Amino acid sequence: MNGVGTIGVTMAALLAGTMVVQAARDRRYPLPPVNDTSLYLTSGAAARRLTVSLNALAADVYWVRTLQYYGGARRRLSGQSSAAEFRPEPAPSSDYDRLYPLLDLTTTLDPRFTVAYRFGAVFLAEPYPSGAGQPDLAIALLEKGIREQPDKWEYMEDAGFVYYWYRHDYTQAARWFERASQAPEAPNWLRPLAATTLAQGGDRRSSKIMWTAILQSAEPDWLKRSAEHRLLQLRALDEIDQLQAAVDAYATRTGRFPADWQTLIRAGVLPGLAADPTGAPYEIGAGARVRLSPQSPLHPLPSEPAAARPPR
Amino acid sequence: MAAALSTFDLTKDYPIGFWRRRSCRALDRLTLDVDQGEVFGFLGPNGAGKTTTLKLLMRLVFPTGGRAEILGRPAGDLDVKRRIGYLPENPYFYDHLTAEELLVYFAGLFGYGAAERRKRASRLLDEVGIGGERRLQLRKFSKGMLQRVGIAQTLINDPELLILDEPMSGLDPLGRRDVRSVILSLRDRGCTVFFSSHVLSDAETLCSRVAILARGRLVACGRLTEILAFRARGWEMIVADAPETAIARIGSGARRVVRLGDGRYSLELPLDPPPARLLSEVAAAGAQVVSLNPIRETLEDYFVEQVAARQSGTPS
Amino acid sequence: MRPVLAIAVNVFRESVRDKVLYNLLLFAVVIMAGSYLIGQLTAGQDVKIIKDLGLAATQIFGLFIAIFIGIGLVSKEVERGSIDSVLAKPIERYHLILGKYLGLTLTLALNVAIMAAALYAVLTYVRWGIDPAIERAWDAPALDARLLQAVLLILVELLVVTAIALVFSTFSTPLLSAALTFALVVVGHFSGDLRNVQDVVKSSAAQWAARGVYWVVPNLAQFDVKAQVVHGQTVPAGYLALTIAYAALYVAMLIALASLVFSRRDFK
Repeated sequence: MNGVGTIGVTMAALLAGTMVVQAARDRRYPLPPVNDTSLYLTSGAAARRLTVSLNALAADVYWVRTLQYYGGARRRLSGQSSAAEFRPEPAPSSDYDRLYPLLDLTTTLDPRFTVAYRFGAVFLAEPYPSGAGQPDLAIALLEKGIREQPDKWEYMEDAGFVYYWYRHDYTQAARWFERASQAPEAPNWLRPLAATTLAQGGDRRSSKIMWTAILQSAEPDWLKRSAEHRLLQLRALDEIDQLQAAVDAYATRTGRFPADWQTLIRAGVLPGLAADPTGAPYEIGAGARVRLSPQSPLHPLPSEPAAARPPR
Repeated sequence: MAAALSTFDLTKDYPIGFWRRRSCRALDRLTLDVDQGEVFGFLGPNGAGKTTTLKLLMRLVFPTGGRAEILGRPAGDLDVKRRIGYLPENPYFYDHLTAEELLVYFAGLFGYGAAERRKRASRLLDEVGIGGERRLQLRKFSKGMLQRVGIAQTLINDPELLILDEPMSGLDPLGRRDVRSVILSLRDRGCTVFFSSHVLSDAETLCSRVAILARGRLVACGRLTEILAFRARGWEMIVADAPETAIARIGSGARRVVRLGDGRYSLELPLDPPPARLLSEVAAAGAQVVSLNPIRETLEDYFVEQVAARQSGTPS
Repeated sequence: MRPVLAIAVNVFRESVRDKVLYNLLLFAVVIMAGSYLIGQLTAGQDVKIIKDLGLAATQIFGLFIAIFIGIGLVSKEVERGSIDSVLAKPIERYHLILGKYLGLTLTLALNVAIMAAALYAVLTYVRWGIDPAIERAWDAPALDARLLQAVLLILVELLVVTAIALVFSTFSTPLLSAALTFALVVVGHFSGDLRNVQDVVKSSAAQWAARGVYWVVPNLAQFDVKAQVVHGQTVPAGYLALTIAYAALYVAMLIALASLVFSRRDFK
């Protein structure tokens, strides 16, 4: 028994020794951090060959990495600035550079990976900082999906939605919605949506129809939340218009623009403080323009083409 | 009476060398017969080709030339295998099976039904003296016990002929005695036993005939008594009560004098001159002759002589 | 045929007692740990990933067993010397080959069956409390019977690989057998590339060689229907029939080859 104890103690001491030496080596010569944004493989075809019959599983791995990449970048950016300006150009920094390659690899390994295509449709097109701000890439990804599954109406609908919402190209959007409505098993709200888009593309009402349709169909959670968010933003736009009308009416009546909401409340124009659907109060900014509070979660509001704004 | 086992010019060459071009002749035109009911010893030094011969008989190895017949049919025939038993040298069985399971498994290969298999297995394990250990896995068996299991598995089908490769190897004296008695009882039942060995004393006690193999060639074959008869090498005389001086004189012509203690001596005398002359000398010296016997050549002597002759190339 | 069954049962018993089936524990741990972690991560894709993981693990563990036990089926017996006592019994040499193959088949079938059951168990657990409306929108339901099609073809692939390993076992050392069998498995999965080699290589000699290899080397890629099944596409019965027929013929050829090699060997 004594012998066993001695050896046991010796082993524990040796193990402790290895830990001490490792800590010293880490301090002195730290290993370079693993660059987890690397793709390991850039060629989809090579990846398919390398993973042989485990393609689907490899696609799953890359899907997880895509989510982690996106989530990491998003968190980093929201930590940096809470009042990010709305920027229509592609992301100036490289934060979302790898998003498209990761999604492309995932969908090459598993060409039927529906959720990857639809995730790309939203977050590749979404402007910085919530997304990569590259609607062209989103369309490219969706077209790849349609090549693989020509009857998948969801991809065509997503393409229409990218043209509508991010490219403001209502002719194209209507074409895609029409094409989607012709796919087998397409839901019946696609045809009227195509018609509305063609007639009044960009119109707030048609946008509401589209987002409501998306919300009601059984979509992934994050797409539903996206739709809810959009609908709240549209509501905020409506409310802003109403508040602006009240401000302008007051100005016309009194000849002076109100400095704040209290003025309007005292004048009996408004019953109380106006707040957006999330509860953040509206502000009267420079030039007596009603606007959303920069702290509001609905910030930044989507832009609307001038022609589409409801007439005053 | 038909031979139980015969070989005719049985030959085996093994290709050797890196390109397998050259060949090495492991067995050279072996021709012998084993009669029914006899116990036949197949002897020879290590590497002589004994195991090769036995494997050729069992068709574990294919002959380069010649043929063999067992129980009147070509060796390797399935009908033949149904009627004989075989024990390989250094038998190895399945570690994970118990002794009982092994015998049941082998009995299944003979085609016996489930109940019959178990019955035979049980009986045979009793016969070879394996009791409670039969439920242990074979990996836990000693060499001696494995050898017993080996003997048991040769008897599963009540064979008419047994072919055993070194059946005594690895056994202690008790074990060897048991195997000897098994072989004798089988002979009494009419079974033919053909076994190879380099333990000559066993061959002496068991065999009616032997064959000696050296370097792939048969060097001798025949009845033990014939081989060993008329092969007296000398005489052994044991005397008692002889004074030292007398022994020196009497033993002058002896090859060897061994003091046995108690005043007795053993004298090894040559064949010539006949020892009768010495008897009177002993009596004259006042000593007693306890015994006078011819020294027969042992099988070992014969063996060594034959093999040495073979290896040096001179005929015996 | 009775000796064949006896030998098969012995092979099965040996693998059980050699604790081969403990690989199932590792499999269970892999799937359950994997599915728990995945559940935290992936925006609603956990069912797909669990199916992918479960099927892939079934295939990989099965391949390991098929290769590592397969290459020892005959060579272990010869090396240890137990072959002498077995072949001394009244059996043909090819009975031994058939029995060994059948025994490993039994082991693999049991292994795969238990893994499929475990996969269904995990899927049942994951699916607990999910709204059926949501499930209907998925590519395929969680407890999809189509998974069994993939499992069946995985088993068929394993049976072909076992036959390959058995052939090598009759004449080659374990290390070489393992390497060659593994190499054939990999090449077998690249059948698609071999078939379409003209897209990649210009030399006609190379194309001929590649085509020749495609027709002779076992095409294992055709047994891989995992991706289809997970995405809810049913495998047509005709496809199943033809691939299984291919496997049966190929295995029969391999067994014939193994029997031929084995029946001419000297066991010194």
